[in-house]
Amino acid sequence: MTRISSDVIRGYNDTMILYLLWDQPSYGYEISKQIKAMSDEKYCIKETTLYSAFTRMEKNGYITSFDGNNPDTGKRRTYYRITDAGRAYYHEKCAEWQLTKEVVEKFIKKQGE
Amino acid sequence: MDAIKNYLETMFLNLPNTPEVQKAKYELGQMMEDKYRELIADGKTENEAIGTVIAEFGNLDELAEDLGIDSVLHHSQTFEAGRMVSLTEVKEYLKASSRHAFLIALGVLLCILSPVSTIVMSSIGELTERETFMEALGVIGMFLFIAIAVALFVTSGITMNRWEFMKHQHCSLDFATTEYVHDRRNMYRTTHAVLLSVGIIFCVLCAVPAIIMDALPLPDFIDDISGAAVLIIIAIGVFMIVLTSIKMDGFNTLLKLNDSRSMGGQYVDYQKQENYSNKTVAAIMSVYWPTISAAYLIWSFLSFDWYMTWIIWPLAAIVHKCIKNIWSD
Repeated sequence: MTRISSDVIRGYNDTMILYLLWDQPSYGYEISKQIKAMSDEKYCIKETTLYSAFTRMEKNGYITSFDGNNPDTGKRRTYYRITDAGRAYYHEKCAEWQLTKEVVEKFIKKQGE
Repeated sequence: MDAIKNYLETMFLNLPNTPEVQKAKYELGQMMEDKYRELIADGKTENEAIGTVIAEFGNLDELAEDLGIDSVLHHSQTFEAGRMVSLTEVKEYLKASSRHAFLIALGVLLCILSPVSTIVMSSIGELTERETFMEALGVIGMFLFIAIAVALFVTSGITMNRWEFMKHQHCSLDFATTEYVHDRRNMYRTTHAVLLSVGIIFCVLCAVPAIIMDALPLPDFIDDISGAAVLIIIAIGVFMIVLTSIKMDGFNTLLKLNDSRSMGGQYVDYQKQENYSNKTVAAIMSVYWPTISAAYLIWSFLSFDWYMTWIIWPLAAIVHKCIKNIWSD
């Protein structure tokens, strides 16, 4: 079975996370669950990958974090919110992906070719 | 859930104890907990849930750059785990350490008690008018006490040889073992406090029975052996102090194996350790309390002014506080 190579998708984890934060703030597990669901379970982001993306994007100013509570356990949980810089960065990444896709696509043999 | 917690703790055990690393551990722990709960709610068995959570955890290498632990994960100048000390070894060590504590304390007790033999024998000698013979017997008794004590020191030293490697080699405990030692130490804390306080009270009040005996109109014989009573009480007090201190040391030795700057090193009460900025002061302070104790005992025994020699303790405490405030980091 073909699996997604984590090297290739690495550059687009940020894009997925920003997309999911677009309308409302969210937290770690919720995002990883949505990524899995939206990809029809074809891509499952590792916890460490996700956390690394959060810290990196927060450092770059694309997202901000705030403390909330987990209603189930009452424990502290970190929520993330997208910033304007994050939205701009998302659009850049989308354009970049269009270009990448276009280029790579030219080198992919269609079935039967 | 315990398996997941253990897994996470073990992954972080040898990472530096910094706010970033603590935050990462907490956040990752929360994500794992959320996932675990949901898997269980979805009807997965505990084992399946644990397996999935651990399989999907990922690799700490990915966090290296963000956490500033690059050097830890990729170079050698760091918190190497070294030799892992297993739970079985730890249990054996604690057993050995508590035997060691008992033997040493017993040896010290015998050393302190050794003059008692001469005191008692010469008193009996005076009563029975066979002074020379009884005094000789007393001296023999004293050396016998000391000989047994030396034998005890040597035996306990040899039995502890097996554990010497912990001093020279870099060792670590895994998370579950660290927790075990930590729990055992917490359970022992009350006993430690009681033994230590009772021991100190014995030492401080050692002269009281002798003073009472002197004041009462008792026969000369009893008067003569009142000195022995002082020693016996001190011996019991010191026995308790030595026993419990060595035993406590055993727990701390194990907990200190994990690097204090690593996440696994957070169990030792490092704040208790005093750090002095000035090296001379540090050297002096390392022998401060033993020196004070010696001064107290020498002054007391030479002058027998027990009613006032105790003043040395509160004075020493005040001086200690001052030195600490001036030179402590």
